Amino acid sequence: MDDRGSNRSPVIEVCNLDLKIAEHHILNKIDFTIQAGNFVGLIGPNGAGKSSLLRCLYRYVTPSAGRITFFGKSLFDYPRQEYAKQVAVVLQEIPDQFNLTVFDVVAMGVLPHKTLFSSVNQQDKTHIFNAIDKVGLNDKAQQPFSHLSGGEKQRALIARAIVQQPTFLIMDEPTSHLDVKYQIQIMELAKSLNITVLASFHDLNLAGALCDEILVLQQGELVAQGVPIDVLTAQLLADVYDVRASVVPVPCPYEGVVQVPHIRYHYGCKS
Amino acid sequence: MKGATIVATLFISCLVSFFIALKLGAIAITTEQVLQALWQYDAGDFSQKIIVELRLPRVILAFIAGSGLAMAGLILQTVTRNPLADPYLFGISSGASFGVVVLFAVTGIQAGLALSGAAFAGSLLAMTLLLLIAKGRTSGQVEAMLLAGVALSFLFSSFTSLLLYWSDPQAISAILFWNLGSFSRADWQWLWLPSSVVSGCMLIMLLLRRPINALLLGDESATTLGVSVEKVRLGMLLLSSLLTAVLVAMCGGVGFVGLMIPHIVRFFISQATTLGLITTAMSGGLLMIWVDVIARVSFENQELPIGVITSAIGSVFFLFLLMFRKRSS
Repeated sequence: MDDRGSNRSPVIEVCNLDLKIAEHHILNKIDFTIQAGNFVGLIGPNGAGKSSLLRCLYRYVTPSAGRITFFGKSLFDYPRQEYAKQVAVVLQEIPDQFNLTVFDVVAMGVLPHKTLFSSVNQQDKTHIFNAIDKVGLNDKAQQPFSHLSGGEKQRALIARAIVQQPTFLIMDEPTSHLDVKYQIQIMELAKSLNITVLASFHDLNLAGALCDEILVLQQGELVAQGVPIDVLTAQLLADVYDVRASVVPVPCPYEGVVQVPHIRYHYGCKS
Repeated sequence: MKGATIVATLFISCLVSFFIALKLGAIAITTEQVLQALWQYDAGDFSQKIIVELRLPRVILAFIAGSGLAMAGLILQTVTRNPLADPYLFGISSGASFGVVVLFAVTGIQAGLALSGAAFAGSLLAMTLLLLIAKGRTSGQVEAMLLAGVALSFLFSSFTSLLLYWSDPQAISAILFWNLGSFSRADWQWLWLPSSVVSGCMLIMLLLRRPINALLLGDESATTLGVSVEKVRLGMLLLSSLLTAVLVAMCGGVGFVGLMIPHIVRFFISQATTLGLITTAMSGGLLMIWVDVIARVSFENQELPIGVITSAIGSVFFLFLLMFRKRSS
């Protein structure tokens, strides 16, 4: 894996970002910076604008105002293919028809590195099989993608991202609809890549345990950001999610000296 | 079976079928006569004249039409991510029929090159309207295209029906015959047009196969892989429309091939590969060679319409495959 993200410089800087769709404010004056090598979680209730913010970052939508820079240069100044070489995205869009094999789906990761006239060579194939091996799908490489379980599909999409050789990985709710085992497996896999990651989460405990930093969105506004132990407080959960919960610091499962928040929700009593 | 083996088997099947198709027809021709016509053509020999002047361009056109329609279907199914998409769903065929009927109504011409020209103009009109509707949309482009295609199809069909209603019965039967499809209009003079369009489109598809296949992952995922989704989709729509327009103009309405061949091929080989694309084109061509043979030899002194045979064979074969698949899963 390319280790361009090892120096601690900003990968992404977002300044005064606004997104309006049909006169609706989806995102409002968003400001944040993501440092190289950080694993950043994006949280917020449904409809807070998480996916819209990620879409701005992977250039699927154009912001109404504001500026996003990637390694100091405006996001939209990068040629499309050049940006795709550096930024990989794992979404929940999953091809179910057309009998694509796992290999076909993973191999699409070479696309940004190829011109119209170049073909997939032996070196590319080795790289593709290594990525499939890394996510543990070796024995399923020639199976139809649609035959995989939810967790395996996500792993295959991460393998595609690995083939892209990115410096920055964006993941939109990669653990939704997955069993606990697969949630942990997917996130540990993403963490093991040692590149800058921005992922949106619904599971706050998972976000708290894994992320170096957390961004909290509420109704299109960034209401908090910082290390999980500082951000995920009982007060914030009450304000943003409208739930009562107690937050207990526990040792981080990955770096035992660091304290991470463990949230216990209080069921049956309204705040 | 490996992809290369499938392509090799198909190639040999096409060559053998090509040869058999030259032999079969209303007039019995021996293998020696076919070989002689191909290697040492004697224009004075009646049998050889039939082979070279009538059957050869016809078999070539059948192969080209089958390949082209299968490719057009593959393109449309891929860029719309809809396995039911085919050239006829987008109103291109209805546009062609409309062009022909307008020609009848205005000039009374019922045959010849003008007929093909009118069909082509009608297809281009439908394609242009579809492109105008789909262009500029970033979200819901696929849905807009499919709905617009269905609407255009009905719109052109209604205009066609109205004009037919006002036409004389002789014109109606001529139009219906044209619409059922035939390769009888094949001749050396015009074969360059479908051949060059189909080969050109094949080349473009081979070059763009990676961005085209990336669309199968979804618009957002394709964008993140550096694909200009709107440009690729509209370009491919233009390409498949051009293919269909040229082939409909040359052969009339030949349904089913564009819908079913990519489906059938997908059972055996991944369409994301170069071999998958070549297999689709060759399978379409092979099928059409045999459809044309059936059309010529089924009844004495009578030729069956191509469209009738493609629909009948295709639907039965497709049902059989679905049942086989159900059992095996």
